[in-house]
Amino acid sequence: MTMSILRSIRGSVRVGVLAAVVSIVLVACASAARDPEGGIRVAMQPMAQTDPAFISSDSEILFANHVYDYLVDINPQNQIVPRLASEWSVSDDGLEYTFTLAANVNFHDNSPLVPEDVVWTFDRLRDENIDSPTVDLYNNISSIEAVGENQVRITLDAPNPFFLFDLSDNHALILKAGTQDPSTQFNGTGPFKVESYSPEDRIVLVANEDYFIDGVPKLAGMEIVFFNEDTAMADALRGGQIDLMLRMSTAQFESLAEVPGIETYDIPTNGFDLIRLRSDRAPGNDPRVIQAFKLATDREEIFELVQQGYGAVGRDSPIGPLYADYYSEAEGIPARDVEAARILLSEAGYEDGLEMDLHTPDTGGRPDLGAVLKEQWREAGIDVNVIVEPESVYYGEDGWLEVDLGITGWGSRPIPQFYLDVMLKCDAIWNESHFCDQEFDGLADVAGSTLDEAERTAAYQDIQRILIERGPVIIPYYFAQFAAIQEGFEGFELKAFAGRTDLSQVSLSQ
Amino acid sequence: MAVEATTAGATPVRGWRPLTVLTSLYRRPASAAGTTIVLVFLLMALIGPVVAPYGVNEQIASEARQSPSPDHWFGTDHLGRDVFSRVLYGAREILVVAGLGTLIAVVVGSAIGLLSGYRGGTFDEALMRIFDSLLAIPALLLALLLLGLVGPARNAVMVVIVIVYTPIVARVARSAVLSAKSKGFVQAARMRGESQSWILFREILPSAFPALTVESALRFSYAIFLIAALGFLGIGVQPPNPNWGLMVAEARAHVFQTPWALWMPALAISVLVIGVNLTADGLRRILRAPGE
Repeated sequence: MTMSILRSIRGSVRVGVLAAVVSIVLVACASAARDPEGGIRVAMQPMAQTDPAFISSDSEILFANHVYDYLVDINPQNQIVPRLASEWSVSDDGLEYTFTLAANVNFHDNSPLVPEDVVWTFDRLRDENIDSPTVDLYNNISSIEAVGENQVRITLDAPNPFFLFDLSDNHALILKAGTQDPSTQFNGTGPFKVESYSPEDRIVLVANEDYFIDGVPKLAGMEIVFFNEDTAMADALRGGQIDLMLRMSTAQFESLAEVPGIETYDIPTNGFDLIRLRSDRAPGNDPRVIQAFKLATDREEIFELVQQGYGAVGRDSPIGPLYADYYSEAEGIPARDVEAARILLSEAGYEDGLEMDLHTPDTGGRPDLGAVLKEQWREAGIDVNVIVEPESVYYGEDGWLEVDLGITGWGSRPIPQFYLDVMLKCDAIWNESHFCDQEFDGLADVAGSTLDEAERTAAYQDIQRILIERGPVIIPYYFAQFAAIQEGFEGFELKAFAGRTDLSQVSLSQ
Repeated sequence: MAVEATTAGATPVRGWRPLTVLTSLYRRPASAAGTTIVLVFLLMALIGPVVAPYGVNEQIASEARQSPSPDHWFGTDHLGRDVFSRVLYGAREILVVAGLGTLIAVVVGSAIGLLSGYRGGTFDEALMRIFDSLLAIPALLLALLLLGLVGPARNAVMVVIVIVYTPIVARVARSAVLSAKSKGFVQAARMRGESQSWILFREILPSAFPALTVESALRFSYAIFLIAALGFLGIGVQPPNPNWGLMVAEARAHVFQTPWALWMPALAISVLVIGVNLTADGLRRILRAPGE
């Protein structure tokens, strides 16, 4: 009896060992091989929206960006480049844009692209009944019409120097006119076609052999595999179950940087964390208090600790180094001066220090930023209680627009005007710091309307000076965007907005 | 809390003093180890902030993410804070909140349990059903609900511990009363015409003391867990508080770079909880009434 039990135990041990060996071999095989089909497997958060008019997350945009095409695209250097529109002209008054469509463009159902498709797409994006987030963006358009066989003319109510950027808005992917249900039909012109979509699992794309650009896409297919967790994505990348991971935390990125067989990429974006003080009531309505906060902050140290040196150090303005010519370092940031901050605070009536709540969402490096600020400001006599809230609570019921002191994350945008218009002008809808400065508003209006590039550059540089001098905002850093890819791919170029990364140019290396 | 069984006559309770208990605890290796751990942590809580080599939130940017070394015994975390110093500060944090919370729960719970058990009747029935319904909800869930209502604050965590543990302690006290109520020494006191509060607190309470002491020690260890768990979930305490659970949560994102920042506070939680449990176990053996 005892013997037989022993024997059966020994038997199951043997089976267990065998199973372990088999699984090790299997794992080894998996990690050795790339996608056998010659495609690329990308890890992403699951998609919620598949109708281009409503997409917003990186995964949704990455999918749409490869199945459909924009009229014009934005390259990694933040410049406008042709896509479905091969060329365009602008009238002298800046009101009339005429686009010429590329030749030989076909939808995945083999119907040719005609100007009416473009008109239909933009009419849909402007339709208040559809209520896409683009309705406001395009309310400056007075008409869109098809001209001849292959041209589209768009007329504006007022000049908009950033109109081409607006045209390349994430949602502005060209659909087939009359598409009944864009969330399931997937009839685009893009470099890849949808083969199958299993929500919460993956979407499988195959190369569009008839794509209008010769030799593109360079891969046979593309698979977006959905993961709910960063760590799981990184593990899958380590194990070779996926080829590419876009967007991740700095810590995750650092851990992947040391893995052999994986290449890592990091580029600065214009996304940032904004520390802002409400300036329409005490204590923030006293310029000396604003100054004290600025003097008590060590931006370099924050950049090193919270971003681990990835990205770029901030200068209290949303116009970052990504905007090349607009960005200026002419105005020096005052060095940290705890003593000066203390003196300013006591002049403002806070001899015994200033106590405030610092609200922050629980995402990204923001809780860390809160902890570092608490320590830096403490030395200057500003005592903050860090209050970390789930994002839904922080943004819920517009609480973030109400609190006196808060940290808000802002994503990277292709043009700086966006931040001025929605965040900093007196009547901006998300003016969380309640900043109101006539000189600033004047400059922002000039920058947003002039067709003279030099005048705009000058206005943006003045704006940066004003924000350093008296803006109730501190921007300590710009985020980096991260990606990690298996060795063996060529032509990968990461974009600041990860979802807009173009994988049709990626190929297998020989 | 040196309480002696002063009642004359047929009391089944052995007289005990803290020192006697302590020496008894050191007679068995397991409870000796547990007691030593608890004493070390108590010492840490007492003098930790004084002897800590760095400030609790002192950030040294140039020394961020360093592995354990003679300068930083437990290494530094991703923000350049000394993990050893934070663990020391965290000891006071967690022991004060867990200790005070447990103490209040035990005092309040014992009083309610004694009274309810002694009085009996509808009052007892009603109260116990209310407590039963509270006990039906898992402690962590109840804590989450309560903290969601009052918002984050250290005192709120303490209040939550009191609310969560009072019914449990009351139940234990009540059952001790029920078994003592019919015993001879209580009957004798009643015959002598002692007042109700005398009977409750001078006759019955001492006899319930061993059970309550063991229960307190157990509650204490659960309270440590609860506080750490709440800290880990980011509820109740806010960064940069050196709550061990919160430290673990913060270090989780950086586990590949600074694993020590995760392991050290996690280790502190486990060691302390094991220590308290071993001590509770030892107490149970020592205080068990003869013949029980």
